[in-house]
Parts: sequence; structure tokens; C-alpha cells
Amino acid sequence: MAWLVLPGLAVLVFSLAVPLGFSVYYSLTDWDGLGAYQRVGLDNYRSILTDDPVFWRSLRNVVALIAVTIFVQNPCAFVLAAFLSRLSSRASRLLRTIYFVPAVLSLVIVAKLWVDVYNPTFGILNKLLRAVGLDALAISWLSNPSTSLAAVIWIIVWQGFGWALLFYYAALMTVPRDLEEAARVDGASWLATYRHVIIPHLYPVISTVIVIDVISSMKQMELIYLTTAGGPGQLTQFLGVYLYQKAFVSGEYGYGNALSVLFVLLSAGLTFLVQRGMRVLSR
Amino acid sequence: MKTKAFVIYTLALAALALLPAAPAGAQTKVTLKMGDNLPDRSNTWGAIVEQINGEFKAAHPGADIVTESYPDQPYQQKIKIYATAKQLPDLFKFWSFTSLLKPLIDGGFVAPLDRADFESLGYRPGALDTNTYNGKLYGIPVSMDFWVIYYNKKLFKDAGIDHVPATLEELYALIPRFKAKGIIPMTTDGKDAWPLSITFDQLVWRISGERGLPRQALDRKIKFTDQVFVQAARALQQLVKSDLFQEDLMVSDYGASRNLFGQGKAAMYLMGSWELGLGTDQAFSAEFRANVDAFKFPAVKDGKGAVDDLMAWYGGNYVVSASSKNLALGKQYLMFYAKRFPELAWEKQATLPAQTVKARPGDTPVAQTILRIISEARATSGTPALDLSTPRFKDDNENAIRELCSGLITPEAFVKKLDAAAEKAAKK
Amino acid sequence: MSQRKALTWALQVVLVGFAGMQLFPLAWVFIASLQRSGDLFGNDLLRLPTDPQWHNYTRAWTDGQIVRYGLNSLIVVTTSTVASTALSFCMGYALARMRWRWKRLVLGVLGLGMVVPIHATLLPNFIWYGYFGLIDTRLGLIIPYVAFTLSFNTLVYTGHFRNLPTALEEAALLDGASWPRILWSIVAPLATPATVTVAVMTFLSGWNEFIMANTYLASDELRTLPFSIIRFEGQYSSDYAAQFACMVIVALPALALYLFFSKHIMAGATAGAVKE
Repeated sequence: MAWLVLPGLAVLVFSLAVPLGFSVYYSLTDWDGLGAYQRVGLDNYRSILTDDPVFWRSLRNVVALIAVTIFVQNPCAFVLAAFLSRLSSRASRLLRTIYFVPAVLSLVIVAKLWVDVYNPTFGILNKLLRAVGLDALAISWLSNPSTSLAAVIWIIVWQGFGWALLFYYAALMTVPRDLEEAARVDGASWLATYRHVIIPHLYPVISTVIVIDVISSMKQMELIYLTTAGGPGQLTQFLGVYLYQKAFVSGEYGYGNALSVLFVLLSAGLTFLVQRGMRVLSR
Repeated sequence: MKTKAFVIYTLALAALALLPAAPAGAQTKVTLKMGDNLPDRSNTWGAIVEQINGEFKAAHPGADIVTESYPDQPYQQKIKIYATAKQLPDLFKFWSFTSLLKPLIDGGFVAPLDRADFESLGYRPGALDTNTYNGKLYGIPVSMDFWVIYYNKKLFKDAGIDHVPATLEELYALIPRFKAKGIIPMTTDGKDAWPLSITFDQLVWRISGERGLPRQALDRKIKFTDQVFVQAARALQQLVKSDLFQEDLMVSDYGASRNLFGQGKAAMYLMGSWELGLGTDQAFSAEFRANVDAFKFPAVKDGKGAVDDLMAWYGGNYVVSASSKNLALGKQYLMFYAKRFPELAWEKQATLPAQTVKARPGDTPVAQTILRIISEARATSGTPALDLSTPRFKDDNENAIRELCSGLITPEAFVKKLDAAAEKAAKK
Repeated sequence: MSQRKALTWALQVVLVGFAGMQLFPLAWVFIASLQRSGDLFGNDLLRLPTDPQWHNYTRAWTDGQIVRYGLNSLIVVTTSTVASTALSFCMGYALARMRWRWKRLVLGVLGLGMVVPIHATLLPNFIWYGYFGLIDTRLGLIIPYVAFTLSFNTLVYTGHFRNLPTALEEAALLDGASWPRILWSIVAPLATPATVTVAVMTFLSGWNEFIMANTYLASDELRTLPFSIIRFEGQYSSDYAAQFACMVIVALPALALYLFFSKHIMAGATAGAVKE
């Protein structure tokens, strides 16, 4: 049985565990990625946790993204999936395919597209707003400090929608018909059926989807980097972008690695918490 | 049976995957490995390098050249990684800036060059000095860059403006006239922060009339919290707050801002002299190309600086890796490059070379203006402040600029941040 | 009845409108690819080009080295997909079906595999792989591609297997069949939906992958498709139109693959999620 597990484990250790070890080592130095360096013990970690407002902002932004994903994106995807599951198989197959298309495209395309859409003078969003007379709302969404975070979060949530829809639709397909019919026969309305029968039945799926959402939210990098690069100021900074900038742009490789290690710990911790939370809720 | 076919197909692919890259043919040639940030080899600068390489190989039959090219950011990353792994290319394009070159020099990654080899190759005064550290020459500058404002003559005419502004106040007066015609007065790359940082340095000079104040602040002879810097910060913030630039300035990247100007949506473009190629860029309309020209960055009212004080520096350079096994050949290449590049670069309007060039009869108006401006320069600034120090200072500088220009902090808070960053950098 | 009709009608409008929004990026990138470089950024979005610049595509095809890079992508991504699928199949089965001592540890390592950020591994792996001569080789790219997809793929398989009844395997065991045989002839066919999901998702993630390819490869002969796009970046001005044409070309195989397998994805996607 060992031969079932060892090859995969070997690849993981070789490709991930070893560099993670390096990462931990470098996080204890002040290396700039190029020349000589000194060991500085836990200084980097201390700086990050006590002296780095950008770190805490990135964390807050990630939590905001997770919240929007869990409480807005997922419910919408679920509702849409529910509607789709009531349609004929051909119609739903066509629509499902179309809905998944953004997930297949490269993130560069998605980023460039939305920067264009958000363009205050020429972008389609403001053009539409002006066309219906809402001129006051036709602002510079990405560079305005009060809307930039929401604008970026929207792009990320929009792009991941196809995956959420996919999971929930497939999950709904596995709900046994008789379960549903039994509830309907008892006189329950559609809403009640979903609330008290179907959703609890799908709890494991929902739980897994949420865990995946948490992890991928924490890892978000390209979409932010290619749109706002963390701006304006550091208002839309996210952990994935921040650690990249520190390690590779600002020449603070040791510091960037400390951020990476914290990132791994936080992700693992958050995942664990969410899983626990879901388990508690399911009782 | 489909499975069998699939398995065979996959195994074949896997076998291909394990094959080495290039066939190991008999190599009697010496291969020069090069690196640069010019992935596009069929346009302007990339094409020039390809041409020079071709000529070099013809002149040196025993030599072959292999180039790795990436865009700016991935390129800098790659060079760092190569340096750490001790696998730098023999020759690579780089930057004269302290923030980028000094770490390489300090790490012993680049080889010193013989200044005598390059003295008589027509370099502008001070060019070779910018690449000299500890008395040794470490790189060959290839381009000279200075800060300038491009403008569209037709759009100026459409707005009823018949002369370029000589002061900032005149510039502000133009804003409503452009806006009335639905024209964006000026564009620049706000997303990348460095154009605005250079503009800050320019304003410091215009206000004070003194050259080199940021450098003094970095050397801790004066402080960034001194009044002149506060005034410049205020001026910069005012420039951005007024409706001068495109509305989404801070997320507008290089390409976006350039294209806005090239499409005739904006009347002016704040950028460097390397964009003189706007006059010949086929991606834009003929009308635009015929109407693009440039003027000097305006003076400030009550400021002591003049328009002929140029924010000018030497940007790109070439360096030789210290661990190169082909040092002699590499140096020969550099000398060959230095001889051919100025002429080709000017002919293709790719950039202003670090060596002096003569005006050509076919020069576009904007190219002629660029040459005129540099010849009329009273003084040049040298490397802008953000690149005069450590990479960390550059990052801090850029972040502070972004916050100032997004209206998130006051000019007073901005200079405090700059000074703290300078203090930190000086300690290293 | 009319209220119901109105609701259905409204629902259809929402669904169709939503479909339009999802197809929008594809339409946008296609239209952008037919314009001139200088026309991008600032003109009306989705304005149909009055004179489509089809030569952007020929330029993208030749200067973008589509054939060479495409072949490399095909080799690297297919191999890593097959390897990742096979390895995660085995691991998923072992985790779902078997009882063994180090299970918790392996689950921990797998969990780690899901949260490690790619950027943190670039420099260390460059040096580490360098020791084994893996830099600038196709294998040196396949290994990390497998590593970064292994965790999630195993998760999908594990869930799927937990859902499957064990009857068939138990019968085969009683009959004296060897484990390899059981896995190949009995379990694998049953796991097809999960396999299709895993394969398609791994393929898609590798197809668009740039940062690792950029770091671990140097020779032009080995580069993958995402490179074709950056070949049009100049130092100060890029040929954006050619870049967009490249993006369309690169997106087509991924789309084709997805369309072809889309029905299987449905069955497999949930398999990882139905039971934990």
C-alpha cells in the first residue's frame, strides 16, 4: 500500500516541503535576494506583527473578500444552480457551459477587461450609468479610495462564480428525488423544502466549497496585481500581492519569506477554523 | 482499445518531455549568452539589437549569440535569481541606477570595464561617470533620458491655444479650455508611481533653483522635511487634484496612458525623451504623428529654477557578468554595440542615445525638438531620487507618492515618510 | 398563472443576461485582437472594428512562435496532467479506503500542499532543482505542476471514493485478484467522473501558467504558450493587438477541451464534495 502513497508524497516533499523549509530559513535573515546577509532571528516576524500596518490591512482585505465570497457569491451561485436544476437538461447544459467560460480564460484577460470596464471616461460601466442619468455614480471605481476595494473584490468574485455554480449544480443533481418529493407531499413550500431538507442534505458539499473558497481567496494575487497593484495607497493590498512585492520588488527577500510563512500558517489556521465552524453549525 | 492508444500517446509525450532541449551538436563556436528586457525583436529597440547581433556575428565567425528576453519585472527577477545561482548571462542589459546596479556591484556579480576602451566613443559628458563606482567603470550607458511634456499641436489648435505654457500657472489656465472640448489635458502613467516621483524631483528643482537637493537629503546633509520639499509636495498634489490628468490616473498604466495620448484623446503626455518614437509609431494615425511635438517642463511662479534645468539621467546600460567565461569577447561586443547603437537608435527613433548624435534631414519635428532641448540644457539632474538609494527606499518612495497623489496623506505627512525612509536607507 | 409566467420570463431574462455577461470577456478579447495596437485603451468598449486587422493573427502566429511554444505546452501540460491524475488517484484511494498509521501525517502534508503560495517556492526551487540539473528542462516544469495540483486532485478522488460502495472490490479481493488489477479494472472505471474532472482542471491550470515557466525555463526551445504573449512587449510600448490575438489563440484549446468534457466535469466536480 505504501507504493500508492509514496510517489505522490515524494513529489510533494520534493517540490513543496523543501522550498518551504528554505523559506523558513530565509525568513530568519535580512537577505535582499542578492548578496550577503545576516541572521536576524524573529525580527522579521516581530516587524510584521507589530510594525506593519500594510500586513494587517492585507489581512483585513482578505477577510472582506472571504466574507463576500461566502455570504454573497455562494448564495447567488446556489440560487442560480437551483434554478438551472429545474430547467431542461439541454438548456441547462448550454447555460452551464457558458457560465463557466470566464473560469477558463487567463487571468490577464479578466484583469485587462475589467480595467477597461471600470475606466471612468470610456468604460462601459460609467457609460451605462450616464445613459440612465446616474452621472453622480460615474466615478473612477478603481482609483477612488472609497470604492477601490469593492471594485477589486467584485472582479475576483465574478471570476470565481463559474466554479461555485458548477459545484452547487452538481451537488443539487445528487439530491434524491424522493427526498424532495416527500417534503413537497407534506405540504412544504419551495423555500421551506430547500431550507429544511435540501440544504442540510448538501451540508458536506457546501462545507468543502467554503473551505476551497477560503484558501483560494487567501491566494489571490494576479487579479489584484494586474488591476490596482494594491493601490490606491495600500488600500487594496492583499497578502499574496504583498509578499510578492516585498520579496521580489522591494528587495526584502527575508521579510517576504516571513510573510510567506505567516501566510501558510494563517491559511491553515483559517481553514481549520472554518471547518470546525461548519461542523458545529451542522449540528 | 481507446485506452491503449491513449496510454501509448501519453508515454510518447512523456518520452518527449524527458528529451533535452537542444541537440548536442558539435560546438566549435563560442556562445555569448545575453539577457535583456526587449522581448519584441521585430520592433524598434529589440530589432536594433537583433541587427547589431547579426553584424557582430558576421564580423566574428567563431561567435554565436543567444539572448533571453523578458519584460521588465520578470526580467529583474530572473537576473536576481541567476545572480544567486551564479548563472548570470555573459552580458546583460541593465540599469545605471544605484538602486539596481549597486547591489550587483556589491555582490561582486559584474566585472569592471576598462574606461579607456570607451572614452573616445562619443559619450555625453557625465555619461560614463554614472556607471562608475569606487573609481571603476562597471557598465556602458546606452540611453539618455530626460523628463519632458509631449503635446498634440492639432488639439491645441482645436482648443484655441497658440503657444505652449511656460509656467505652471499658464498650464492650469489651459485646463478648462481643453475640458470644454472634451479633451483630457494631460496623461501620464500613474499606476507605476515613478513618473510622479520624477515630477516631484523636478518640482523641487524648479522651486528652489538648486540642483541635487534630493541627493543631499539622501546623504542626510539636509532633511526631506525641509520647507522646499513640502512646497514641492504641495505642488505635486495640486497638479493631480486639479483636473489636469486623466480621471483614473492612479490605476492608469504605462500603455494605457500612452495610448490615450496617441489616439488623440489627450492633449499632453508627461513622459521621458525616449518616447520621441511617437512621431513614427505606425500604431497611431498619420495625423497624430504629424502633429506630435514636445516642450520643456514649465517653470514655477516665484520659483528660482529655469526651464532649462532638465531632469535628465542615464537609464539603460549593459554590464558584463563577473563570472563570464568570455570576458574578452563580451567586451568586444560592448565596444561594437557602442559604435553601432547611436546611429541605429536615432535612425529608428528608438531612444536618445547616451552618445551624441547629429540631427538627420528625415527627423520628425518631435525628434528635432528633443535634440534641441538637450542641447539647450543648462544643467542636468542625474539619477532621480527614487533610484539613488536602496531598493527599499524606492519602494517606500513609490508608496508615499501613491498615497500623496491619491489624496490619502498631506504633503507634510508625505515628506515625513520620505525622510523616515531616507533615514532607514542611510543606516544600511 | 400570469404571475408565474411573469416570474418565469423574468428568470429567463436573468439567465440570458447573465450568460451575456459571462461571454463578454471572450467577445471583448476577440474584438480587441482585431484592432490596431494604438486603438486600445480609451475607445468605446466592444466597438466593432471597421477594418479588422487580421494580420495581428498572422503576426501572433509567427512572431509569437505559437507552434513551438504550443508543442511544448502540450507536452508539459499533458504529461503533468496524466502524472498528477494517476498519483492523486492512488493517494485518494489509499486515503479513502485503507486504514494505516501515517494517514494523519499525509493528510497534513496534503493540506500544506494546498496553501503554500507559488511565489514563495520560486527562488528556493530554482536552487534546489538546480542541484539535480532540472532547471531549463521540461521535467523541471512538470514536477512542480504535478506538485501544486496534487492536493486538490487527491481531495476530489477521496470524496468520490468515499461515496462508492465497496462491494465490487471486496468480491474481487475474495476472488484472489491482485491490487494493481483491482485498481485498474474495477476502481478506475468507477472513478471516471472524478478522473475527468481532475484531468480537465489540472490541464486548465497548467495551460495558462506563466510564473513558474518563466522562472524555471531559459531556452527558447522549451518555452510554453504563455510566453507567446510577452513576446510582443517592448520596453516602452507593446504591440497590444498582437498580444490579444495571442490570447485568443491560447484560449482556444482550453475552451475546446472544456466544451468537450463539460458534461463529465459535472459528475466529477461534486464527487470531491459530497462527503468529506
